[in-house]
Amino acid sequence: MKNSLRRLALASTAFMALATGAMAQQTVVWWDFLAGGDGVRMKALIDGFNAEHQGEITIEGTTLEWGTPFYTKLQTSSAIGEGPDIATYHLSRIPLAVDSGTLSEITDEDMAGAGISDADFTAAASDAGKVDGTRYAVPFDQHGLILYYNKDMLAEAGLIGEDGLPTGLDGLDNFNAVLAQFTKDGKYGLSTPTGDRYRTIYSLFGQMGGVMFDEAAGGFFPTDEDLAKLTTAIETVKGWVDSGYTPVQVESPAALALFTSQQSPFFIMGNWEIPTFVDLHAKGELFEWGAVELPTLFDTKAAWSDSHAFVIPANAGKEADPEKRAAVLKVIAWMDQHSLDWAGAGHIPAFNAVRDSAEFQALKPQSDYAGFADTAVFDPRTILAGPAAPLGDAWSNYVNPATTGEIEPADAATQMRDDLNGQL
Amino acid sequence: MLRDKRSEWLTAAVLVGPFVLIYGVLFVWPTIQMVMLSFTKAPLIGTGDWVGIDNYVKILSHKLFHQAFWNTAYFVLLTVIPNTLVSLLIATAVNRLKGGMQGLVLACFFLPYILPVSVVFLTWNWIIDVQYGLAQVFVRPFNGGEPMSLTRTIPAFMPTVAFVTVWWTMGFNILLFIAGLRNISPEIYEAAQLDNASRWRQFTRITWPLIWPITALVLTIQLIAQLKIFDQVYLFSIGGRQDATITLVQYVYKLAFQQNKGGEAATAAVLLFGMIIILSVLQYQVLRTRGEK
Repeated sequence: MKNSLRRLALASTAFMALATGAMAQQTVVWWDFLAGGDGVRMKALIDGFNAEHQGEITIEGTTLEWGTPFYTKLQTSSAIGEGPDIATYHLSRIPLAVDSGTLSEITDEDMAGAGISDADFTAAASDAGKVDGTRYAVPFDQHGLILYYNKDMLAEAGLIGEDGLPTGLDGLDNFNAVLAQFTKDGKYGLSTPTGDRYRTIYSLFGQMGGVMFDEAAGGFFPTDEDLAKLTTAIETVKGWVDSGYTPVQVESPAALALFTSQQSPFFIMGNWEIPTFVDLHAKGELFEWGAVELPTLFDTKAAWSDSHAFVIPANAGKEADPEKRAAVLKVIAWMDQHSLDWAGAGHIPAFNAVRDSAEFQALKPQSDYAGFADTAVFDPRTILAGPAAPLGDAWSNYVNPATTGEIEPADAATQMRDDLNGQL
Repeated sequence: MLRDKRSEWLTAAVLVGPFVLIYGVLFVWPTIQMVMLSFTKAPLIGTGDWVGIDNYVKILSHKLFHQAFWNTAYFVLLTVIPNTLVSLLIATAVNRLKGGMQGLVLACFFLPYILPVSVVFLTWNWIIDVQYGLAQVFVRPFNGGEPMSLTRTIPAFMPTVAFVTVWWTMGFNILLFIAGLRNISPEIYEAAQLDNASRWRQFTRITWPLIWPITALVLTIQLIAQLKIFDQVYLFSIGGRQDATITLVQYVYKLAFQQNKGGEAATAAVLLFGMIIILSVLQYQVLRTRGEK
């Protein structure tokens, strides 16, 4: 009995192998730059995919160091045909990637073969994956700057509204008054790491309707008005430093600690810190906390944002065969369809069906700040943009130090503009 | 006779060949390529048009290059001389210790040298952290009672990185000095003691001249290593500060990997290469004549 069962099992396996013989098992080599909470969740997604596609497709994932090392390695390996089959990428860097010939085009047929299309994503996200109408990336999420808050401290100060969310933060005067209220006895109103302040400044610049880049009008910060808006945005953040609402110098890990040790009720940071607080809270080591969109301190709602996306490296001389391509697209479609798990890392899914689902709407605090996706300010579309690119370098080179008084805000704005325009 | 000569050549070829081959493929060939690249307007990957000495004119007049040059020179000054003096001092003291104690103390000084730069950076980054760092206890009195960021304050940056570098690389120099000190015959000291020479006199008249060749070696190795400074500055200055802390290798890195200018990056690298060669030769000449006196 036992033997015959085994024989049956063997026979059926052989039969199945014959049936799927035409489609050989595919190994998809995957590179990403996702560490920390992001990395853990991405790894779980990859494991989930592999389990579901046993004998058909296997993802072989490698995580490289975020930033310049990742992008350089991808560019050089793609140039000699040794790149991965699929990689994560920031949408802001797509123009630069296309300019350097790193990426392979993803056609409408590719998409259709995997059962997805542009209509599955917001227009902004799918447009950001294209250069001159040609698609090079499929969006995965949108991430951006949000405001974390300590619910206990805010409730005590009477700043929690009936809907359970913070109130009275909109408008620069109101926000400053709140920060002043908490700045006492060695505590700070706000925690914002010195090296990351440019993201806040870019958000405020966006709230004033500033234009960062207009090729036709002369490049970066095309008008004096735009330059003045940037200066005002820098002065706003510098004002928080000068008034003692936030420490002059504070590195990222310490800035996080200021918030988690209740020395500051607010923390401005990207949504990628969500897993940190979720995990701490689950262990019973964190107060009641939440996250909302950045308050609107100027004219309109806006926050710095970028997107993670999937790309297929061009791999010169070793272009993927159609079967491999189909497998890669299948991986991309599956990841987007399962991006609810990715939302656990704080990101907002780019896939409409997931973002609109009841499950995502029930996810807190993600759904409390999901609105920023509609009013986000992305990096401008230029080959200088993106993380670890000249634009990112210029932000941290001129704008961050201007918040600590090392350069005058107006000088920082001018120097940043001139440096970037000199590289165009 | 002829046969002997031939087999001698064969032996030499077999022994030296692999090294020459590896050296040629991994060093000489890329160097030639780099020099060629410096005359073109090439991106990071791929080939570009021949532009003659345009890149050199551009780089040499580039403000950032000058900044990188002076920063590197400053860093070399801050590391090489203190490192040599402190290492010599420690080596002399450790050399007096006997047996196991000497090994133990030596190991303590040598330990940092075998650590990867990332570990050194993480350790020191916590020690000097402006909010929670232990080092702030010592920094505060010099900063009006306020904590100070040692890596985000421009004047403090290079001395901080230099201090960490000296701490990190000192062990190797100490070992070299100890080797030199052990080569000095104890009889010379005995003779000096009989003549009632003071410790200081023994040091200046016996130790110092006799370990001069080692000192020259230590200085040369360090000069070459510190001119190529990159890792520590890169790690401690993540984000950059008005380019105020940029070094020559960082400048090359920035041109190549952030601005995608392969030709200009190669030019800057050729200039750095030339500088290292000229300085090494000069230093060697100066130190050698001094040693022979």
